[in-house]
Amino acid sequence: MIINEWTYWIAITQLKGWRIEAVNKLVVNIFHEQKSSFEEIFSLERNELSNRYNLNEKECLDIINLKEELPNYSFLAEDLKSQGFEIIPINSPDYSPTLKENLKLKSSPTVIYIKGNRKILMEKSIAIVGSREADDISLEFTDNVAKKASKEFKVIVSGFAKGVDRQALESAMKYTGQSIIVLPQGVLTFGSGYQKYYQQIVNGDVLVLSVFHPKAQWASGLAMARNPIIYALAHEIYVAQSSDSGGTWHGVIDGLRKGREIFVRKPEPNEKNANQLLIQRGAIPVDLHGEIQESKKYIENAIEEKYIFKEHHKTKAVAEPDIVEKIFGILKTGSYTSAEIIQKAQLNWKPGQLTKFLKEQNNVRMSDSTPKRFTIVGEQSETLF
Amino acid sequence: MNREQAEQILSKTFCIDKFYDTQWEVIKRLLIGERILLIEKTGFGKSLCFQFTATQLSGTTIIFSPLIALMRDQVNKLNSLGIPVRCINSNQELEENNEIIAEAIAGNIKILYIAPERMENIDWLASTRQMNISMVVIDEAHCISNWGHDFRPAYRRIINLVNLLPISFPVLACTATATLRVEEDIKNQIGNINYTYRGNLLRENFRLFVIKVETEEEKMAWLGKNLNNLPGTGLIYTGTRVNTEIYSRWLKYLGIESKNYSADLDADQRKEVELGLLENRWKCIVSTNALGMGIDKPDIGFIIHTQIPESPIHYYQEIGRAGRNGDKTFIILFYNPNADDDLPIYFIENHKPVITKYYKVIEALKRSRLGENDIIREANLKKTEIRVIKADLIDQSIINEVLDGRSKKYEYRFDAPELNYSAFDEIMQHKQRDFRKIREYIYTYDCRMKYLTDYLGDNLKGKCNKCDNDTNNVKVVDFYEDWKEKIETFQESYYPQLEVKALHTKLQSGFAAAYYGFSNVGKTIHKCKYKNKGDFPDSLLNITIKAFNANFKSTDFDLLLYVPPTESGDLVRNFASKLARELKIKISHSLHKSKPTKPQKIFQSSLMKSENLKGVFIYENQSEINGKKILLIDDIWDSGASMKEIGKYLTSLGAEKIVPLVIAKTVGGDV
Repeated sequence: MIINEWTYWIAITQLKGWRIEAVNKLVVNIFHEQKSSFEEIFSLERNELSNRYNLNEKECLDIINLKEELPNYSFLAEDLKSQGFEIIPINSPDYSPTLKENLKLKSSPTVIYIKGNRKILMEKSIAIVGSREADDISLEFTDNVAKKASKEFKVIVSGFAKGVDRQALESAMKYTGQSIIVLPQGVLTFGSGYQKYYQQIVNGDVLVLSVFHPKAQWASGLAMARNPIIYALAHEIYVAQSSDSGGTWHGVIDGLRKGREIFVRKPEPNEKNANQLLIQRGAIPVDLHGEIQESKKYIENAIEEKYIFKEHHKTKAVAEPDIVEKIFGILKTGSYTSAEIIQKAQLNWKPGQLTKFLKEQNNVRMSDSTPKRFTIVGEQSETLF
Repeated sequence: MNREQAEQILSKTFCIDKFYDTQWEVIKRLLIGERILLIEKTGFGKSLCFQFTATQLSGTTIIFSPLIALMRDQVNKLNSLGIPVRCINSNQELEENNEIIAEAIAGNIKILYIAPERMENIDWLASTRQMNISMVVIDEAHCISNWGHDFRPAYRRIINLVNLLPISFPVLACTATATLRVEEDIKNQIGNINYTYRGNLLRENFRLFVIKVETEEEKMAWLGKNLNNLPGTGLIYTGTRVNTEIYSRWLKYLGIESKNYSADLDADQRKEVELGLLENRWKCIVSTNALGMGIDKPDIGFIIHTQIPESPIHYYQEIGRAGRNGDKTFIILFYNPNADDDLPIYFIENHKPVITKYYKVIEALKRSRLGENDIIREANLKKTEIRVIKADLIDQSIINEVLDGRSKKYEYRFDAPELNYSAFDEIMQHKQRDFRKIREYIYTYDCRMKYLTDYLGDNLKGKCNKCDNDTNNVKVVDFYEDWKEKIETFQESYYPQLEVKALHTKLQSGFAAAYYGFSNVGKTIHKCKYKNKGDFPDSLLNITIKAFNANFKSTDFDLLLYVPPTESGDLVRNFASKLARELKIKISHSLHKSKPTKPQKIFQSSLMKSENLKGVFIYENQSEINGKKILLIDDIWDSGASMKEIGKYLTSLGAEKIVPLVIAKTVGGDV
């Protein structure tokens, strides 16, 4: 990894109004098709950019404007380097192959920011996911699966939320396995987290990873946007406990839609959760030790139990991590209508779609006025711990 | 822009008509986004290269400079020309710095001077993301290099930064002193330098002299006799802080106005001395090399070294500030072959702590993530040692310096390499070679200017025709006998000061009867304390009484107290009793320790020394202290931690005044 390029890598992830796919395509274009370099593309005039890279007028202008900001990103890159963080760009051999395989060019983060043992990204990995308010039985399941995984030298991918996520991480450490902590914030704002996992990071057992701007503060929108990264970093996904909405649910449904194998803890008959529903949707049931059950029996059970839960979940508005970050970035600066945010962030969303998304964010406040204006609330008061 | 246009702007904005050719070439290259290394002597006009360029670029130019005094001068000068220039530094209030940052973000500042250490400041780093930055300048660029004379770890982050800047972004590194080796090193570290300019280093107005002597007293005599004959005002560099005090007091004793300056002074005191120098308040400043690069005074008439520096490059740098206005200036180096090599050799051999100390820090950081004070406690090392070790370990990618909230912490890196200690040996050998070179300067019969500039990578044709060798004007001290008595009287009446700088205490600065290592005093104390040779002899009592009479005769003390002992039994108690009897001051034996403490000397840092004593002193009849003037006695003043702690305690009991008096003051770890 050429450290001197960090500035450019950070900068291109901040191209205004660009989706991940567009940025990734630009990378492919520069390095593979044109066999060129960042230095060159940032030295080109507008017409050369549009001719050689087949970019439209807005895109050319974006790149030319970004050039002005490069020195600012140099300071950020220096800060990261000096504090022992690393940037792994998508074209690096150190980039997680699992992540790339699962998210493809369309949504693989263009860069990931890490601290710790980057070789962990190459190992077989599992994610154990589930509710923040998990029952004891789900935590026991998590511990069992983490123990088994650690024994098999598989890495535990944890979202570092309360409940199942934290249990998975604690268990991995207890059984001296390796883990990846996927942050719902930038690497520079994880503060005391590094203190807490210091020994494991020094020993090479924990890798801290984020796909967001290094200075991004924790926000529920980022926590949502982080979930697909957790799923995508894992070869296997185990669900300890899911309700019928929220991050786990949507993550699993999305995973199933993409055809991934997902293992769900078979719930006890009187459990009030949506594990059984996920099994009905095609997830594979496993027992308390994470072992696969004979499917037939479970399908029968499933039919019996399908009346317990009503299917009332409509698909939530979901967004790519980079877009979520942009939206929150704007909200931090004041109060705006959906239309204004769309304009500022240069999104190709409909106002209604954004309003729906914003309403679902628990740290966004909506005004009583018409049109509705949105601001961010309690950004600092909510914590992950 | 062509040169003619540029010079029109130059005369309008800077009131200067023309550029030198080199200046214009540098400017031309910077304007098209090149990276330049500029090595030119003091007075060449390096600053104009970046100042002019900065005014022509849109955005703010950031200038890294280690010299606060110099920054201040430049800011004033440029502001008076109407160019919006500011500096951010640690001597300014936080609010002022924040205001300046806000102005820079708003685009109202053309040039921003900052110290390299600012790169470790969280607010600064946050603000850099919002500024429109047009150029980066690294002043005193030799500080980048381990092979230079003034390596500064804070420059490491500037190097990181420059290497992360886009390649077509203008960067200027400048220095007045770089050997070819240092030049090479700078070029390696700052990648992609497009062009290096190296000017000649000859200073035509310098009169270089070397005066060989046999004793320290001969130096004192020469200065006493000749200092007033030297033109204007100037600087005397001594090797140690103690000597700044001794020489300064010697000159004052002779009625020559002088002022001492060293790292012991706080920021305000330093500023005051720097200002006084500019205003020619004294004939000379007696200083360690803490003063030097920072002075922007054009008319320094002489620079005298009472101590041989470590290398020709140290020497050239330290004399570099003299005679910037082009007037004749006298550059004198004293050398006593019997004693003067010890200090530089000591510094060279101890330029790095021993390897085991590095491992102490590494092991501590492998166990936990620590702040600087935690490391000092865990490793029990001096702060200065910890700082060197930390910088080296960061440089070798073994540890990281990270921010946890607003505090700095140190982390061991997961994939850290092994410590490479042999790299330091190589630097030491280089330093030893350099020291041999400055000794050759002493003994050379050839032109001294040519010797120095050639050493720095120049190739001077001919001679300067102005140094002692060229003019056959070798100075000797053949009049010492006439001065002997004066010097002896001075020495007998000389009492080292015990300086107390802390606020909120009634403890005042006091005196010691002698320096620990300068006479038999130290040896005598040592024998009594550690070899059970009984009470301190009367000779010590007598010099202490003399010190008292010379300094406190007019003060009426109410009470004499002494520092309760840790391990040396009743020595101090008995000594204080005798002293009280002689001075006719009431003694009290009521000051005790509430719990046993460890001997102070096992702690390496002043932090741990003061923590060892925190809250341990207790006085029996506390009401007795209220409103009293107290003389506080101890045998040795080392860090002064015990007396400072007692001073704080007695202040809290209402003491009116506490004055420390000791037999001996140590100089940098004699005990």
